[in-house]
Amino acid sequence: MLSHYIDLSWRSFKRTPLVSFLMVLAIAIGIGVTMTSLSVYHMMSMDPIPNKSKKLFAVQLQTMDEVETWFSSDDLPYQLTYKDTTNLLNADLPYKRAAMMKTGFSVHLNSDKVKPFFETTRVFSRDAFEMFNLSFIHGGVWSIEQEESAAPVVVISQSLSKKLFGSDNSVGQTLYLDDLSMRVVGVIKDWQLHVKYYDLNNGSFNDPEQIFIPFSLIKANEINTWGNTNGWKYEVVKTFSDKLNSEKVWLQFWVQLNNAAEKQAYSEYLANYIAQQQTQGRFNRKDAQYKLRDVNEWIAYWEVVNEDNKIMVALSFMFLAVCIANILGLLLAKFLRRAPEVGVRRALGASKRQVFYQHIVEVAMLGLFGGVVGILIAQLGLLGIRQSYSYYDSLANMDLIMLLTAPVIAIAACIIAALYPAWLVCKTNPSTYLKTQ
Amino acid sequence: MLEIKPIFNALLRSKVGAVLLLIQIAITTAIVSNAAFIINDRIEYLNQPTGYQEDNMFKFNVMMFGTDVDLIQQVELDEATLRQMPGVVNAVHINAVPLTGGGSSTTFRLKPAPDKAKTDTASYFETDEHGLDTLGVELIAGRNFTQDEVVINRDFSKHPNVALATKALMDELFPDGDGLGKIIYMGDQPLKVVGIIGMMKGPWLKLEERKDKSVILPLLYPHKLQQFLVRTEPGQRAEVMKQIESVMHQSYGKRVIQDLKGLDKKKANYVAEDLLMMRMLVILISVLVLVTALGIFGLTLFNINKRTKQIGTRRALGARKSAIVKFFVVENSIICLAGLVLGVCGAVVLGQQLMTQYSVPALSYEYVAITALGVFVMSLFAVIGPAKRAANIAPSIATRTI
Repeated sequence: MLSHYIDLSWRSFKRTPLVSFLMVLAIAIGIGVTMTSLSVYHMMSMDPIPNKSKKLFAVQLQTMDEVETWFSSDDLPYQLTYKDTTNLLNADLPYKRAAMMKTGFSVHLNSDKVKPFFETTRVFSRDAFEMFNLSFIHGGVWSIEQEESAAPVVVISQSLSKKLFGSDNSVGQTLYLDDLSMRVVGVIKDWQLHVKYYDLNNGSFNDPEQIFIPFSLIKANEINTWGNTNGWKYEVVKTFSDKLNSEKVWLQFWVQLNNAAEKQAYSEYLANYIAQQQTQGRFNRKDAQYKLRDVNEWIAYWEVVNEDNKIMVALSFMFLAVCIANILGLLLAKFLRRAPEVGVRRALGASKRQVFYQHIVEVAMLGLFGGVVGILIAQLGLLGIRQSYSYYDSLANMDLIMLLTAPVIAIAACIIAALYPAWLVCKTNPSTYLKTQ
Repeated sequence: MLEIKPIFNALLRSKVGAVLLLIQIAITTAIVSNAAFIINDRIEYLNQPTGYQEDNMFKFNVMMFGTDVDLIQQVELDEATLRQMPGVVNAVHINAVPLTGGGSSTTFRLKPAPDKAKTDTASYFETDEHGLDTLGVELIAGRNFTQDEVVINRDFSKHPNVALATKALMDELFPDGDGLGKIIYMGDQPLKVVGIIGMMKGPWLKLEERKDKSVILPLLYPHKLQQFLVRTEPGQRAEVMKQIESVMHQSYGKRVIQDLKGLDKKKANYVAEDLLMMRMLVILISVLVLVTALGIFGLTLFNINKRTKQIGTRRALGARKSAIVKFFVVENSIICLAGLVLGVCGAVVLGQQLMTQYSVPALSYEYVAITALGVFVMSLFAVIGPAKRAANIAPSIATRTI
C-alpha cells in the first residue's frame, strides 16, 4: 500500500509542480537555517570522549581566603597552584592522574633542513596519554624514571613527525625546543578534538598540541605557562621559584575515577588534604571546598556553548515555525483543491484512514526532499561560518547525527503542518462532490 | 465607508488561512525586532572608536631560541633597526598589544598593598618612551615619560616609578579630577602618574568595565618571547611588513618571527565571533521577511482563486475595480494588524526572555515600532499584486459559470 501511496504522491507533485516546489523550498530554507545553527551547537556541546567522560574529573580547590571572590560562577579558581598540583600528582593513590600546562617553543633541528617555527606544547604527566585515549603508533610514553629525573624527552604527533623528519617513526631522533635538545620517545596518532575540553582556560576550540613533554621539566627548566596565570592576593613574585611557591593558579589537573566508590574515596582524600594544608596556614576558609567535575560537567561549567549560539538556535527554530505555517497554508490550498477527487475515492470505498495516510505519505515525501535540499543550504551556511570565523573550522560541520537529524526534523515538521489539512480533506463528504460530477 | 463588516464576515468563513497569516506576522515581528536590536548592538560594539590608527599599525612576535646573545641589547638593537626602516613612524617592544584579547591586567590602588584602599582594575602595557607615539594615542594632560625613567632589567630588581594612565582610570580613582601628579600603587610599588591619556582601548573590548582603563609603564623586561608593535606612515604598512622577517633575521638569526599581522586584522580576529553572529542574524531576518512576504502573497492568491465567482458577481453587479482591490487590502490589513498586536507582545516577551536568560540588553521599543511598521508596509506590497489581479477578473466569468 505504501508504494502505491508513494506513487500517488509522485503523480501529485508532477500535477502541481509550482506549489510543490514552493513547499519544498519553504521547508528547505527552514531546515537549512535551523541545521546551520543546530550543527554548530551540536558540535560545541558534543561529548568529546564518550567512553570516558564520566570517569575523568577536573579538580578544583578553593585556595582563596574567606572573603575573596573569583570570576567563576561558584567562586572556585579554575586552575591549581604548583604546590597543590605536585602534591596531588605525587600522592600515594591508585588513581590515574594528569597534571598539565600549555606552553610553547620555537621548534628546530639545529640545522638548515627545517625552518624554525613556533609550536604550542603541552606539559603532561605520564598517565595523561592513557587517560585521554592518546594512542601511540611508535614508541611510547616516557618512563617513570625519566619523568622523575626530568629527562629531556618528548612525545610528538604523527603530523609533526612527518613535518620534521619526513617519516611517521621518529623515535630516537633529536629535536630542539628553543635551546633544549629533546629526544623523541614516542609518536602518537594526531589528537583530533572539536572542543579542547582538557584546558578550557586557554580557549575552547584551539587545535590540540602536537608536542608533549614531562611535567617535571617545568621546575627543572623553568618553563613558563603560555596560558593564564591568575592571582588573588598580593605576593612578591620575582623569581621562578617564587612562582612555584606562590598561591598563583596556572596549572590544570585531572584524575580518573572509575566508579562512584573511587570518586567518594578521592573526595575524602581531597577533604583530608585541605584539612592538612589548613594546619600549614593555607585554605583559610571555614568550608573547605573542592570540586570534581566530569568532562561534560566541566564543559557546561565553562559555558563552552556560548549565549550567541543558544540565541541563534532558539531564533532558527522560531524561523522554522514560520516556514511550517507557510507550508500549512500551501497544503490547505493544495489538498482542498483535490477534494472532488477524494470524494470519488471515498465513494468508491476508501476509508477515511486510508485517505489520511495517503496525504501524510505525500507530505512526508515533501519533507524528505526539503530535508535533502535543506542539508545543501545548511552546508552553504556552514561554509559561510567557516569563512567568516576560522576558529569555528572544526565546529561548523555536520556529522552523521546531524545529517540524519535534518530529514527527520524536516519530515516531522511537514507532518505536523499536514495534520490539519489532511484531516480536513479526509472528512470530505463524498456526496457533495458526486453531485457535481 | 469601508465595508469592514462584510470583510470581517468573509474572514470568519476562512479562519484557518487568516490565523496562519496572523501567526506568521506575529512571529516575524517578534524575531525581526529582537534580531534587529541585537544586530544594532553588535554594530555599535564592532564600530566603537579605539583611539588607534589600526590601518597603519602592525605587530609581530619574536621567539628567541639562540642563547649566545644578550636579550636586553638585542631588543634595543631591534627597536633601533625598526625605527630606522623607511616608512616606519615608530616602533616598540611591548608586553601586550591592544585589541587582541591577550594582555595583562592588575589592580591599581591608592595605598600600597596590603593596606585597604580604593582600587580599580586596569590593563597595563610595559614599553619605553616611544610607546605613546607608537600607539598613537592622545596625551591630554601632563607629559610622556623620559628615556631616563625607563627601567630595563630581566629580574624585577628595579621597578619603574612613573606611569601614564587613561582618563577613564583616573576618573575612577580620583573623582575630583586632580589625579595628575598623584601616586598610585601596583601592589606595593608606587607610581607617579605623570601623564593622562584620552581614548585608548585595552586588549579586551568585551570587558566593559576594563576596556577603557589602561596604564603604560616605562619598563622593558625582555623574555625569550617578545612582542613588537610598529606604526607606519599611511600606505606604507604592507611594504614594511614584507621586510620584517629578513630585517630581524639579518640582525640576529636564531629566532622565529610569528603572528606578523596588522592591528586591524588582529582586531577583526578578536571580534570575529560577534561579526559572525551579526551576519547570521542579518541573513536570518532577510530570509524570514522574504518567507513571510511570500506567505502573504500565496495566501491572498489562494483566497482570490477561491472567490473568483464571488468577485465576478460583484463586478457584474457594478463594483469598481478599486473596490475589489480595497476589499483585499482591508482584509489583509485586519489580519496584519491583529498579527502585529500579537507580534508586538511576543517581541516584548522574547526581549525580556533574552535579557533575563542571556546578557542581551533590554530591548528598546522603537525597534518593535519600526519593525511593526515595516511588516505592515511589506504586507501591503505583498497583497497589492494579487488584489489587482483579482480586480481584473472579468464579470463574464461569473455569468459563465452560474
